[in-house]
Amino acid sequence: MSNVDSAMAAPEDGADADAEVMLDPRVQESIGRSLKAHYDDIVNAPVPDKFLVLLAQLEATERRAAGASTDELN
Amino acid sequence: MSSTDFKDGLIKEIPNLRAFAASLSGSIQLADDLVQDTLLKAWGNSDKFEPGTSLRAWLFTILRNTYYSLYRKRGREVQDSEGTYAERMATHGNQESHLDLADFRKALAKLPEEQREVLIMVGATGLSYEETAEICGVAIGTIKSRVNRARTKLAELLSVGSLDDLGPDRRSAAAIQRVSSEIVGS
Repeated sequence: MSNVDSAMAAPEDGADADAEVMLDPRVQESIGRSLKAHYDDIVNAPVPDKFLVLLAQLEATERRAAGASTDELN
Repeated sequence: MSSTDFKDGLIKEIPNLRAFAASLSGSIQLADDLVQDTLLKAWGNSDKFEPGTSLRAWLFTILRNTYYSLYRKRGREVQDSEGTYAERMATHGNQESHLDLADFRKALAKLPEEQREVLIMVGATGLSYEETAEICGVAIGTIKSRVNRARTKLAELLSVGSLDDLGPDRRSAAAIQRVSSEIVGS
């Protein structure tokens, strides 16, 4: 997509001249690093067991259902 | 795709789902409820996932829709009564980066959510502008404009506080100066 297309595709947000002001690249870089630090901090946190338990239960239920329907066929 | 492969795919995405959900809702408790709902919906609709496409983008779409239809109001209530996760969440870094991170999270929580979500998706999750645009159901140009506005607003917020008595021009100049000196200092 060309820059012209991008500019034309953004009317929903209105003509906001401020959005076109480019930040100092060093500021952008600093914000980028903070974003990653924030996000990765949560990504690297231990995953609660309850999610793994939930998925194991869903899979077991599906297996039982599949097994039951096979039994009916036989 | 077998259900075991699908399950393994979901397990791999849980950390990213939690991080995105926490960024959206501003609360790690709400985030975990949101992730649980997302996993249940994903499991129930696994036949609609097209193998070979991005599972992360597909799950983020489900999570985001769930958030906007069910959680947005609760998120605001939790933030009002308990403060945002910015003040409460345990972090895993050292003390110095903890302080920086807490400041950053407070600023991030103040962004309008439509700006916050795209900044996170484009800046931290590894999703492309195209995928982000598809997840949000808007044009790529809209995503770019929201990202720009979010960055500008964040730079402004991160400098406010100690500089409240300065005019807007001096304030943003000070923001740039401050961030620049952090870069030089690090």
